[in-house]
Amino acid sequence: MSVDLVIAIVITLIGASTPILIAALGELVVEKSGVLNLGVEGMMLCGAVVGFAAAYTTGNPWLGVGAGALAGMLASMIFAFLTLTLSSNQVATGLALTIFGAGFSALFGQPYTGKPLELFRSVFPPDLSMHPILKVIFGYSPLVYFSLIMVVAVWFFLQRTRAGLILRAVGESDISAHSIGYPVIGVRYMAVAFGGAMAGIAGACFPLLLTPQWVERLTSGRGWIALALVVFAAWKPGRLLIGAYLFGLIATMELYAKAAGGVFRVLPSELWASLPYLATIVVLVLFSLRARGSTGAPACLGKPFVPAN
Amino acid sequence: MRLRLEKRPSPSQFMLFATPLMAVALTMVIGGFVFTLIGFDGFGAVREIFFTPLMNPLKWQDLAVKATPLVIIAVGLSIGYRANVWNIGAEGQYVLGGLSATGIVLLTQDMSGPWILPLMAVAGIAGGMAWVAVPAWLRTRYKVNEILTTLMLTYVSVNLLNYLVFGPWKSPRAFGQPQTIAFSADQSLPYIIPGTIVQLGAPIAVIIALVAWFVMSRSLFGYQVRTVGAAPYAARHGGFSANQTIWVSLLVGGGLAGLAGMLEAAGPFGRMVPQFPTGYGFTAIIVAFLGRLNPIGILIAGIVLAITFVGGEVAQTTIAFPYPAVGIFQSMMLFFLLAGDVLVRYRVRIGNRASAGDSTSEASA
Repeated sequence: MSVDLVIAIVITLIGASTPILIAALGELVVEKSGVLNLGVEGMMLCGAVVGFAAAYTTGNPWLGVGAGALAGMLASMIFAFLTLTLSSNQVATGLALTIFGAGFSALFGQPYTGKPLELFRSVFPPDLSMHPILKVIFGYSPLVYFSLIMVVAVWFFLQRTRAGLILRAVGESDISAHSIGYPVIGVRYMAVAFGGAMAGIAGACFPLLLTPQWVERLTSGRGWIALALVVFAAWKPGRLLIGAYLFGLIATMELYAKAAGGVFRVLPSELWASLPYLATIVVLVLFSLRARGSTGAPACLGKPFVPAN
Repeated sequence: MRLRLEKRPSPSQFMLFATPLMAVALTMVIGGFVFTLIGFDGFGAVREIFFTPLMNPLKWQDLAVKATPLVIIAVGLSIGYRANVWNIGAEGQYVLGGLSATGIVLLTQDMSGPWILPLMAVAGIAGGMAWVAVPAWLRTRYKVNEILTTLMLTYVSVNLLNYLVFGPWKSPRAFGQPQTIAFSADQSLPYIIPGTIVQLGAPIAVIIALVAWFVMSRSLFGYQVRTVGAAPYAARHGGFSANQTIWVSLLVGGGLAGLAGMLEAAGPFGRMVPQFPTGYGFTAIIVAFLGRLNPIGILIAGIVLAITFVGGEVAQTTIAFPYPAVGIFQSMMLFFLLAGDVLVRYRVRIGNRASAGDSTSEASA
């Protein structure tokens, strides 16, 4: 393979991985606080349609990202109110949020079907971002750099700050955290809001980073794959990065396989399109084989907390 | 002043039945307001979506057609949900059921006889079961979460469907259209009410709901499922196998979704096309919850959701209300239902801790 091809592969796979990485980072923080929000896909769809609408009307992709984050966060607050304040079933409420997001994006995306959108330009000068070799470092959308910064930021927050310690305490033992005076429900509200904003940005990545037009259900299950990645990464941000890029490699494999020719050329494209989902299943199995005993899951994951007055 | 939750000694039976009705009523009121606020004819939409299909007898046959797959799938899902087994990929099992039935159709192209339709049904059930057997095996053998695996396989099933109808199963007479040959009369469901579009699937759905109700409330299996879901440790002590419960509840759910797929393929569709996955498998999740995971409740909830589908089409033609908004009304019902759940398990007290009326409960808590 030529250098050009390798560079092209790296650039496509990083692009394809970015929304999953951003959504998974958000969900990781949510789950670390002890909450399982299965509505990632729904929040992404909300972020995608609102982000598209904002970027399309203002012509400013940054506003698209901001609006997407806000939409994802507002959607996550529905979930937070139901599960945290009314202590409803987290699995069912997450599913409801996904169904809601699908309806929301279908309704408000309808007028934008087929409308083109301007992609983010690289933040670096063309000498670097268009350079045949250096573009592998400088040639990305700002969203890609954002995702990388967030990997470090989330790791730093969880492992090196007091607030992160409190958040982990709430996720590992809500009753102890409550009894030493930490606001369990308040911390979880903030975590869910962060997860929602990240999912919203991840959704906005689809029109702003990948395909610059409105397509219904454009996230096509990537939110669910992000959920699986959090399990695979054993709730560690660094491993999330590796997992997301592995996934991006698989998701874009069809392109290189077709270029490689030979036996790959005859395989149906539907098989390639199924690979990410099949790979996710394989990854989950591998993870469970490796994880004898502790999986790294927060002890209170998915359990409602109702303070005894 | 603030809201406080006070656990009830046992779940309120009254609230269990009242909250689904409240959820539907709240959806109409708040949905109407919200859609009015954002510039639609919100209350006109509520009228067309929730009432017109009921008031107009001509629409009743459409309700039966739409409710059939929803009820069959939701009954199957409810058994798993009771046991805390979360199959959310019924859509994929539905697609496999339809594809398996289509496979029989292609094999029996030049044949006739009343045996073909039952064979298609068996194939449909087997297809749905086979598709869910993978998550069931992974869950019981490797403890892999079935929520993610069932959903991932749904995306794979849609790819499989596309591969078949764009490729090997494409009808030679379809002029490049991605579709299979049309099913013959012996490969299609009979109409049961002359002059309507109601086919054999509708009474099958009712029978399935009744049988499931009987099994779940009157048999040891039903008791086992409920115990494993509500009290896993007690179930283990009582000798109920969790793995067996997972297997059976997933296979029943997958099999019924597969049957629903077969009934759709051999019924309203009449041939396999890429538009076959219509989202019934996901809407059935709402039906299962709105019906309180009770087969009789699901029968009613299936009709309610069918009303919104048919009403959505009505609202689109009469007042140009966008059809995708139906999905928002449907998910609102589920949100309000889940919010209402709090009333089943808790009493909601308003006021400060120190307020007089609460002193007795405080003391006992």
